[in-house]
Amino acid sequence: MRRRTILAAGSALAGTVAAGFVSQPSGDHRLLTAAREPGDAGETNTNTERLLPGTVHETRLHEIDAPRDGPTAMVFGGIHGDERNGIAVAREITEWHPDAGTLVVVPETDRVAVENDEREGVDGNLNRHFPADREPVSELARGIWDAVETRDPDVVLDLHRSLGIYDFHRQYVGQAVFHSPDAHGDALADALDDDSVPWYLPFHRFTARETDLSGPLLFQKAARELEASTYLFETTEFLLDQPTRNEMTRLAAARVLELHGLLETGGDA
Amino acid sequence: MSDDDWLVLPGTDRTPVSIGRVVTSPATIGTFVLLVVPFALGWLKSALFSPLALPSYVLYGIGTAIGDAIAPRFDFWLYWIPFLASCVGISVTIGFGYEWWRERADDDSSERL
Repeated sequence: MRRRTILAAGSALAGTVAAGFVSQPSGDHRLLTAAREPGDAGETNTNTERLLPGTVHETRLHEIDAPRDGPTAMVFGGIHGDERNGIAVAREITEWHPDAGTLVVVPETDRVAVENDEREGVDGNLNRHFPADREPVSELARGIWDAVETRDPDVVLDLHRSLGIYDFHRQYVGQAVFHSPDAHGDALADALDDDSVPWYLPFHRFTARETDLSGPLLFQKAARELEASTYLFETTEFLLDQPTRNEMTRLAAARVLELHGLLETGGDA
Repeated sequence: MSDDDWLVLPGTDRTPVSIGRVVTSPATIGTFVLLVVPFALGWLKSALFSPLALPSYVLYGIGTAIGDAIAPRFDFWLYWIPFLASCVGISVTIGFGYEWWRERADDDSSERL
């Protein structure tokens, strides 16, 4: 009996490993390939500059010009320094090749928080420093906002992670896409569900929510004052490891660029 | 009162299922393994989540949702404790049912003989 039980347990283990690999969502290799490799129109041109030079907040901004005209998109990672998926993916995006427009990336927005691996930097939570009808309330926030105003982006994407799941765990906002009224939040959430959430993890399906633009978050200020289409993307630590969170974040960023015309995937390949 | 006298079915004066038999039942062990192993693999590495983990995923997920609503300060890994206790309860219940069914099946066979 014991041998049979061990055999059964071993078979169950092997079966579940095999089932796990076979039933994973495929991701979207076409989309990520389009993001990572130069398109037919030619090479991109990248320029890197320092924001807030000579201060404790000094951080890098990467501006990637595509060979064709198009919209300007800004991507922010590291507004919260312990949300590593946004930082890692924003660093990757600095080497992406948009097909049209301009892609501006700030991978370590609150560099002190990123270096300390903490949510908040020296002036507290950066994503509460952009109130309505007022100047940003800290030196770092003003520096970031200056860079945003200068580029006057059509699209802003802010990358985050939460500890739980929105509308499931009361105090958390993971697996959600918060977006301005004119953005493609529902399309983004649907695409992420198809590409990255297995059917057997139903609580992890993404939720799209239109945001109230009166708040003090960077993506709300950009939508409010620059009329940009803005997104705040949140994945979750709940039952998802770092590589999986990174992949969801990577797919979210690539899909936003595609939805707004910076990336072309060449139709149904 | 010995362990073997513990479980007496209603309406009988016999001792059809012992604790030891329920705990070591293949139904009990198999259920526990199926509830815990696929979910634990996915918990360790998300790519190892599979359809087999769905029942435990639902059980653990709902447990955390209720717990988070009642006591929001707990880290989610702490919910492994009630989760494992629930898995033991479910496994023993299924194991008991299986052994009871086996006992009845054996009795019916004997009577026919």
